[in-house]
This record gives sequence, C-alpha cells and structure tokens, in this order.
Amino acid sequence: MRTRILAFTLSIVICAAAHAELKWEQTTVELHPASTDKEAVGHFKYQNTGDKSVRFKSVHTSCGCTAAQTQKDEVPPGEKGEITATFKIGDRTGTQVKTVTVDTDDPVNATTVLTLKAVIPQELEINPTFVFWGQGEAPKPKTIVVRAGKDFSVKQLKVTSSSPDFETKVAETGKGQFKIDVQPHDTSRNMAATLTIQPEGSSKTFYAMARVTNAPAIQ
Amino acid sequence: MAQEKVTSASSTLRFQRSIIPRFVRRIAEFIVGGIFIYAGVIKALDPIRFASDIDNYKILPWTISVQLAFYLPWLEIFCGLALIARRLYLGGLSILTVLTFIFIIATLVAKIRGLDITCGCFGHASKNWSFTAHIALDLSVLAALIALCICERLRGNSS
Amino acid sequence: MKSSLVRQALILVALAFLPGIGQAIYFRDKVSWQSPIPASEMVTVAQARAWGANAIWVDARPDVEFEREHVPGAVPLNEDRWNELLPQFLAAWSPEKSIVVYCSSQSCNASREVARRLRDEAQLKNVFVLKGGWEEWLKKK
Repeated sequence: MRTRILAFTLSIVICAAAHAELKWEQTTVELHPASTDKEAVGHFKYQNTGDKSVRFKSVHTSCGCTAAQTQKDEVPPGEKGEITATFKIGDRTGTQVKTVTVDTDDPVNATTVLTLKAVIPQELEINPTFVFWGQGEAPKPKTIVVRAGKDFSVKQLKVTSSSPDFETKVAETGKGQFKIDVQPHDTSRNMAATLTIQPEGSSKTFYAMARVTNAPAIQ
Repeated sequence: MAQEKVTSASSTLRFQRSIIPRFVRRIAEFIVGGIFIYAGVIKALDPIRFASDIDNYKILPWTISVQLAFYLPWLEIFCGLALIARRLYLGGLSILTVLTFIFIIATLVAKIRGLDITCGCFGHASKNWSFTAHIALDLSVLAALIALCICERLRGNSS
Repeated sequence: MKSSLVRQALILVALAFLPGIGQAIYFRDKVSWQSPIPASEMVTVAQARAWGANAIWVDARPDVEFEREHVPGAVPLNEDRWNELLPQFLAAWSPEKSIVVYCSSQSCNASREVARRLRDEAQLKNVFVLKGGWEEWLKKK
C-alpha cells in the first residue's frame, strides 16, 4: 500500500517536473549570397532537450519574400530538427533583415523570433538611378555616378539606352568610378528611356531611368 | 486664556515650520525650479517638434498648438528661475502648479482616449519613458509644488 | 497676498512673451502655422486623401495582394520586381506630386523600404509612408 502511494506520488512529481524545451543552435543567421543568387537559405537548427514533446503551433515570417518550413509539426524529446527560411532576393539591395516567428506549446519559451540577415553584395552603386527634365527645360546633360561596390572590380561599363531620344556618354573618373552623362535631344514632349548598365565581364545588368516629364521640373 | 491661545497658536506654527526646515525647502525649490528650467530649455530648442507633441493630445487646434509651443517653454523657464531666485516667487509657484495640474489631466485624458503620445515633461527627450514613469514624475512634481505652496502660505500667515 | 500673487503671475506671463515672440519671428518661415506637416515620412489617410490628384499612391505589397485589391489608381512597386515596375511608376509620376507608399500594415517594412529607395536611389522628393497602411485605408474607405 505504502509503495503504491509512493509510486503514485512520484509519478505525479515526475509529470509535474517533466518539461518541454526547444534549444536553438542559433537564433540569428547571417547569409552572404552571391550577386547572381536569386535566393538565400538559412537553417535554424534546434533540439528538444526537455522530456516532453514540443509542438509547433505556427510559424510566420515578417515578409512575403521569406518562406519558412518546419520539417515536422511535433518534436519528440531528444530529437533534433531545423526550420528552413528561404528568402527570395528579388531586386533587393543592401543588408536585408527578415524574421521568422515560431510559436510552440512550450510553456517556458512559447515564442521564438529567428532572424535572417542577408548581406546582398552590390556590384555597382548607381546614384541617382533616375534623372529627369521638365518639358521646356534646357536639354543639358545630367550625370549619373557609378561606383564599383566593395569587393568588386569594374574595369569598363557598357551603357545602352532603350530610346534613341536620349544620348549617353560614359567616362571613367577614377578606379572603379564612372560617370554617365545623359542628355535628351529635346524636351518639347514626354519621353522615357531605360538605361541598361552592364559591368564588363559580368552577367548582371543594372538599370537607370531617364524621362522628360509632362510638368515643368522643380529646379 | 486668550494669551494661552496665542502662545499655543504660534507654537503650532513654529512646530509646523520646523517639520519642513528652511534648507529642505530651498533644496526642493532648486530641484523643482531646475526641472522646469531644463524642461523649458529642451522644448525651446525644438519648438516645431513640441508643437507636434501638443497636437498629438488632440485637444487644441493646430494654430493654438504652434503658438503655445513658442510660448510655454519660456513661461516654464521664467517660473523655474522665479522659484530658485525667490523673486516673483508666489506668481511662479502658482503658474507652475496650475500648468502641472492641467498637464496631468491632459495626459490622463489622452491615455483614456487611447492616443499614442510621446510627450512628457521633457518633450521629446522623454519619449522612451513608459506612461507610468511619466505620470509618477508629474505627480511628484505636483506634490512638491503643493508642499511649497503650503509652506509659503504658512510663512505668510506667521508673518 | 492674493493681489501680490496675481501681480507676480502677470509679470511672469508678460516676461515670457518676449522671447516667445522673438522665437516665433525667427521660425516664421520654418513652421506651418495653419496645418500640421506630417512628422518625418508618415502621412495619415485623411492627409493623403486631401492631396487629391496631387498624390500618387504606391502599393508596396506582393503582386498577388495588389491584384486582389488595391487603392484605386495605385501603382504597384515592390522590391521583388523593382527594376520591372519602376518604369511604370515613373510614367505615372511627375515632380509636383506627393508619393504615398503603403503596404499591409503598420508593422510591414516594405513601404518604408520602397519609400527609402525612391528617396535615396531615385532622389525623388515628397515621398511619404501611409500611417496604418492598407488596413487603415480600408477602415476609412
């Protein structure tokens, strides 16, 4: 009788002490995709170090450009796994920070925020990416400055205009530095051109825009 | 009998005055005066931002908010100086007490209306403070001002 | 004592007018006296609507959300297809217009990013982010 009571009490104590705990190897992952990559994938590894199963209630991302996938819905004690976060780079530039919020039934750490940091290499820095003239404005050339990004070496630039109404002249102004002078033939009507800028030897193309707008330009 | 009453009254007054020694009062005047001078200077340095902060309370029209933003900080500074210098003391004390009281009511009303206000005593300098911290400081300042008012009234009665 | 209090208070009230007026004169061209200017880049639905035809609405949400529903007349411009969508936006833009960028909700960063790129890369002026985003526009529809 006493043994039974003891066993029963012990089992209650053990149940009360049993807990789920999801331990993450790292909650921040920094990625350095190549300039031609379309996606960056981060792996967030975890392990259930508790003695109760952990169930994923929901996983949602801070942006529609990031998709997160859990390998399983429930993690038994001792099991390992990972959440894969796939970030679609698109036309994004610079350092992008996206988060994945994971909700579980772990009473201690119900919510974990995983951070995916993607440093997108910038082969070219174009400033500005848009030049415009108002109708009637003097059709003087406007300059776009192009610089090679950090860790990139650009020896030559090829610039083509989508419209013959705009002329472009490229000149090197320093090591990895260029200027593109854009000039419309006239500003009597609305015109537009997309300037395709391609560094020599690179498969990646960059763009700038030129327009003659239908309102007088703000000087 | 009348003599005893007078002696008893003046003893009570001396007793009351001794509860708050003169130097404690002076320290309080310096602290409270200093707080208002600091608050006034912070707001006077960026009156346009202060105008937005007043506007956030959604009590006054924008044109009044702008005019107050240029005026109130200087009123605070001069009243704070009045407290410290003990010149135009009563006037300064009364104005600051009324201003603080109105400000606390406005803050509570804004909170009840669910407005997101970032303005405290110190304009945008206190924008990261919690609501509780704001109200706690404001109430402490009001309490100090009321205590100084009472002290001054007792001084006035006894002289 | 009461008259002394009132007199002192009036003196202080009058004293404060002097630097106050001086400052108001100094800032007279820097402040909008009639209506509040949006703080930094934010603009409310009401303010943006008041601009009427002078505003160009930019939808920074993913394509599928834009296709489902969007602010009438809004132009899509998101970071997924920036290079493809930018010419279309620029065709609708002109220098005197105010640009109002919105996305899914206040917490969504896409509108801020699109606004930043329009300001920094394309060097456009009058770029604003809609306070409360798409949800706020729906509420005030």
